[in-house]
Amino acid sequence: MKSVLVFVEQEDGAIRRIALEMCTRGADLAKDMGVPSASVVLGKSAAKAAEQLKGTPIEAVYVGEDTPVDTHLSDPAVDAVDALLQQLGPSLALFPGSNLGRDVAARIGVRRSAGVITDVTDIDVKDGAISAQSPKFGGSVMSTIGLKNSEYGVVTCRPNSFIARQEAGKGAIHQLAAPSGQYRAKVEEKVAQEAGKLGVEEASIVVSGGRGLGGPEHFDIIEALAEALGGAVGASRAAVDAGWIAHKHQVGQTGKTISPQLYIAVGISGAIQHKVGMRSAGTIVAINKDANAPIFEFADLGVVGDLFQIVPELTKLVKERRANA
Amino acid sequence: MKIVVTVKQVPDTNAEKTFDPATKRLNRSSIENVLNPFDEYAIEEALRIKEAIGGDTTVTILTMAPASGADVVRKALGMGADNAVLVSDDALGGSDTMATSYVLALALKATGFDLVLSGTQSTDAICGVVPAAIAERLGVPCITYVKKMTVADGKLDAQRETESGYLRVSAPLPALVSVTKAINEPRYPTLKGIMGAKKKEIKTPSLADLGVDTSKVGETGSKTAVEVIKPVGARQKGETIAVSDPKESAKQILEFLIAKKVV
Repeated sequence: MKSVLVFVEQEDGAIRRIALEMCTRGADLAKDMGVPSASVVLGKSAAKAAEQLKGTPIEAVYVGEDTPVDTHLSDPAVDAVDALLQQLGPSLALFPGSNLGRDVAARIGVRRSAGVITDVTDIDVKDGAISAQSPKFGGSVMSTIGLKNSEYGVVTCRPNSFIARQEAGKGAIHQLAAPSGQYRAKVEEKVAQEAGKLGVEEASIVVSGGRGLGGPEHFDIIEALAEALGGAVGASRAAVDAGWIAHKHQVGQTGKTISPQLYIAVGISGAIQHKVGMRSAGTIVAINKDANAPIFEFADLGVVGDLFQIVPELTKLVKERRANA
Repeated sequence: MKIVVTVKQVPDTNAEKTFDPATKRLNRSSIENVLNPFDEYAIEEALRIKEAIGGDTTVTILTMAPASGADVVRKALGMGADNAVLVSDDALGGSDTMATSYVLALALKATGFDLVLSGTQSTDAICGVVPAAIAERLGVPCITYVKKMTVADGKLDAQRETESGYLRVSAPLPALVSVTKAINEPRYPTLKGIMGAKKKEIKTPSLADLGVDTSKVGETGSKTAVEVIKPVGARQKGETIAVSDPKESAKQILEFLIAKKVV
């Protein structure tokens, strides 16, 4: 491998938090391999986004302001990243495990005939070879996966897996020419419902609500606690299926599989379909009125009681602590 | 119009999984296999499009699986799909995502299609890269994570979920669309549907029929290798707070969070 390339996603000039994690680990991997590290950021406001990468250990930043990622889904990003990879030569390319990141990774995998390793929670270089950890079967097993017979490697990374580090003086900017492809898929309209809010997959703290909330109107106590903690709002399948909250908040088998530092499950019984989505959280706290709820079998702290009284009180205490900090 | 839905057989989430120490593959024979839950939404959407458009629209189920994959295909046919293609060969065992997308793309070229529908990911491996890889190999528009769609006049309009909202997207057919669970509520196969499914055609083309280069599939043809696979220890039951005063409960939670350095 001749380089490590990190694909950075940005929205209106703001990079995703995982970009900092990946730029740190990507730069460290490159160092271990003795090759240069670079990142690539595309679309309108890419230059603004690139500024935020200057404090990371990544050595170079390729900026493609004129690559129309906002209007044609993954097509232009695939062309731009593919052209850059051909220029860099056989490389290890890291992508965020986001909706766009997974699409670009898959298609680059096909174009470069690369080995593709997905949903990676740890990655190292051992004796010159890539060795990645990826949880499978709902996190019940951990697989160690390597590359073989492939010049290029593609990896999608799970948020909250690597620790971001600051390093001054890096991030030299290089301009990238726009790809010239004709694109058939077209974005007609962008509807930002929760712009600026951290998604459940990227937040280091997630507060989730379930059936125990009893109705959509009670999600405000979940939101208040999440906000006080600086986290995101999650939900169980029961709450989503009841129409109380949008599907993208769902944690579990038919929703998101996440690894936050802290997961607080409120009014969630903890069926296997939910467990597979959050079992790899650092710390799990469960609040439920049913002392026999399965979630208490694997929570680090189980709290039996009335969520409608405990959660607002906890929110108040967290706010007080923040205010006095 | 010809709609093809790609589906996968996955082990039941509740099943105890064991792995062959030599091949590091899942022992599939000892556990109950089910239709990947994400794929039910793709099948349902295909059936709804067929019902809306009518005419000579057909819904074909496509899967690559061991011979036991016929069971999940029957369920899909029971829901109302017209016919199926099961690609099964021992040489395919151990194929990774890229090898799988290679075989499915060739099978799609052989069956022909106007629209390919799939789930966003499978519940066993959770890779989420096969749909986009298929679209890339076929050279068709790739519209993933769709929560709403309509098809008319050789064109599709869709709402694609993003982390901060959604995008309204259009594309000409042929195209590939992957759908999320927000798109519909899948129907259950009816008794009549299940009985009828037994008479529906399941084609089983050989790899040679599809033009598969066997050096590109299976464990040897895959460019990733599973080196180790081991069970993750079960999470242990932690402390429990069961006090009647909610203020006391909240105070103890905060102390716990502070001790864990998460607040």
